[in-house]
Amino acid sequence: MAILEEPIKGMPIAKNYIDGEWVESKGEMIEVVNPVTCQPIAKVGISTKGEIDAAVDAAKAAFPDWRRTPAVTRSRYLFRLLQLLEDNFERLSRIQTQEHGKTIDESRGETRRGIENVEVACGIPSLMMGESSEDIASGIDEYLIRVPLGVFGIIGPYNFPFMIPLWSAPYAVATGNTIVVKPSSEVPNSQNAIAELVEEAGFPPGVWNVVHGGRTVVNGMLDHPDIEGITFVGSTPTMEKVIYPRCGATGKRVIAQGGAVNVIAIMPDCNVEATIPGLMTSFFGNAGQRCLAGQTLVIVDDKGDFYKSFMEKLAAFAQKIIIGNGLDESVQMGPLRDAQKKERVQGYIETGLKEGATLRLDGRTPMIKGDFSDKCFLGPTIFENCSAEMQIVNEEIFGPTMSVVRVKDLDEAIRICNEVPMHNGHAIFTSNGKWARKFQYEVISGNIGINIGVVAPMAFYPFSGMKGSFMGVLHTQGKEAVRFFTESKVCIHRWL
Amino acid sequence: MKLCTTSETISFAKDLEEKSGEFYDAIAKRFEEANEFAVFKEENRKFAIQIQRAYQSVITDAIEGCFAFKLESDEYILDTDLPDGLGFSDAIKKALVIEETISAFYDTAADHSMSLMADIPRNFKIVSRKRIKRIERLKINLNMG
Repeated sequence: MAILEEPIKGMPIAKNYIDGEWVESKGEMIEVVNPVTCQPIAKVGISTKGEIDAAVDAAKAAFPDWRRTPAVTRSRYLFRLLQLLEDNFERLSRIQTQEHGKTIDESRGETRRGIENVEVACGIPSLMMGESSEDIASGIDEYLIRVPLGVFGIIGPYNFPFMIPLWSAPYAVATGNTIVVKPSSEVPNSQNAIAELVEEAGFPPGVWNVVHGGRTVVNGMLDHPDIEGITFVGSTPTMEKVIYPRCGATGKRVIAQGGAVNVIAIMPDCNVEATIPGLMTSFFGNAGQRCLAGQTLVIVDDKGDFYKSFMEKLAAFAQKIIIGNGLDESVQMGPLRDAQKKERVQGYIETGLKEGATLRLDGRTPMIKGDFSDKCFLGPTIFENCSAEMQIVNEEIFGPTMSVVRVKDLDEAIRICNEVPMHNGHAIFTSNGKWARKFQYEVISGNIGINIGVVAPMAFYPFSGMKGSFMGVLHTQGKEAVRFFTESKVCIHRWL
Repeated sequence: MKLCTTSETISFAKDLEEKSGEFYDAIAKRFEEANEFAVFKEENRKFAIQIQRAYQSVITDAIEGCFAFKLESDEYILDTDLPDGLGFSDAIKKALVIEETISAFYDTAADHSMSLMADIPRNFKIVSRKRIKRIERLKINLNMG
C-alpha cells in the first residue's frame, strides 16, 4: 500500500491568528517534531503575555458586533466553514497524522468527529431558542432568553489536535461569543489549518483567534478579567491544581476535562470474535493516548477456562498489530507523541513488573514497519496477574498498555470500576441484557459502553466524565455546550 | 498482501475501479462492438467516489477502523492485459472475470465490516449488485459474439 503524501512541507512557522491577521510570535520559537521520523516539520512560537492580551482584546472588541449578528446569520458562517472542512477533509486528516503520529484511519475519524460538532452548531437558531410562559400572574408574561457572555478561552491537549477544540469552539461562536483557542504547542498545525478555513469562511476579525504557547498563555487566559469562561481538556493534575481553582478564583465558568483510568469488563458470554477488535481499538488505538482508552481489562471467569482461551486469542491479535508511520495505510498503530511520553509509559511497565504483574506481551522492543527509529514507538503491552491495588490499574498510563485482572463475578468487576480514581468511559462486553443494565446502573462513569470499547459520545450528546475525570457542571458538545456558552436571562413583562 | 485497515481497503477498492475502468476504455477503443462499454470507466469512477464518500462520512476513531478487515489482496488481482491479437470474445471473457473478482471483493469486504460501520458495507453491497447487472450484460454480449 502507498505511503500518503505529507501535507506539511518546508518548515512553516505556525503563526498566531489574532484579529483576522496572521502574526508571528515574538516569543521563543520551538520545533514541532514528527514522532515517526523524529524530524522537525514546523516551528511554533511560545507566545508572550502581551500576545495573549492582544488576542483577548481583539475578541472583546469583536464581541458586541458579533452578538448583534442574528443567530441565523452566524449559522451561515458555520455552514460555510462546514463546507470548507469537508472540502479539505483529507488534508486536515494528514496534518494530524504528520504532527501527532496517529494512523490515517484514526485521523480521518478525528476529522469526522470534529466536523460533526460544526454540523450540530449550525442548528443554533433552534438550539438557542428560549422559553416562555403566558400569564404567570394575571396579565404578566415571563420568558427566558439565552444570551452570549463575551470572550471564552479554549485550551486543547496534544492527543486530538483537531477535534477537541471543536467540542467547544463552534458552539461558542454560534451562540454569539468570541474565542481564543490555545492548541498544544506540540501539535499547533491542525488548529491553524482550521483557522485558515475560518478566515476563508469570512468570519469577522476577532471572532475566532488562535494563540500558541505554553504556561504563559494559559496563565494569561486564566487570569484575564475579560475572559468569561474556559474549556479545558488535559491531565487531571492540571485540571485539579491549576484550571479549576484559578477559574474559581477569577469568577470564570469552566468545563475542565481531565484524564481517565477506564476499566473494561469482559463477561464469558461476550461475542469473542467481535470483542477483540474492539479491545484493540480501545487499548492500543491512538497508541493508548486518549481519555477514553481502556487501561484495565477485567475478565469475569470463576473457573479460568474462558480466561485462558480469551487471553490466547487476545494476545495473538495484539501481537500482529502493524506499527509504523500513520501515513502508511497498512499501519494499525503509530508512535507515542514524543520520547518523554514513551519513557513515562516504560516507567509504568517497570512499575507493573515490580508490583508482581507479568508480561504476556512486551511492547518495549517493537517491530516497526519502515526504516524508523524506535525513539517514540512502543508496541502493545499486556500485563497479566494484576490486582485492583496496583498502580498500573489505578493510575493513568496514557500508552498502549493493558492491565488484565481476573475476577470471579460481575460484582467484583463493578467494584474495580468504581474504585479507580477517574471515570470517563467504563465499558462491558456481554450478550446478557441483565448484566449490561446492572453495569450501566451501578458503575460510576461519565460515559458507559455496552459492547463499545471507546465510549465517545456523538456531537449532539455531552462529553461526560465523573470524579477525577471532570470538574464543572455542564459539558462540552451539544445542548450542554450551548447552555455553557450562554446565560439564561429571564424577563417578566407587565403592560400597565 | 493482507488488508486490515479501512483506509487500505478503500484505497484497494479505488485501485480495482481504476484498473478495470482503464481496461474498458482500452477494449472500447480496440473493438467497435465494445463501444457500449466505454461508459463503464465513468461508472467505475462514480463507484470509487461512492465508496470513498461512505467511508469519510462514517469513519470515527471510536470504532475498529484499523482492525476491521481480514482480506487478502492477492485473491483479487485483476488481469487487465490486452495482448495484440486478442479477439473480442476473449476480451469479454476477461471482463467477466474482472467483474466477478471485483464483486467477490466487495461482498467479502461487506461481510467483514458488517458490524462496524453500517454505511460502508451497504455501499459495498450496492456496488457489488451493480456489478452483477454488468456481468449479465457482458454475458449477453459474449453469447452474441
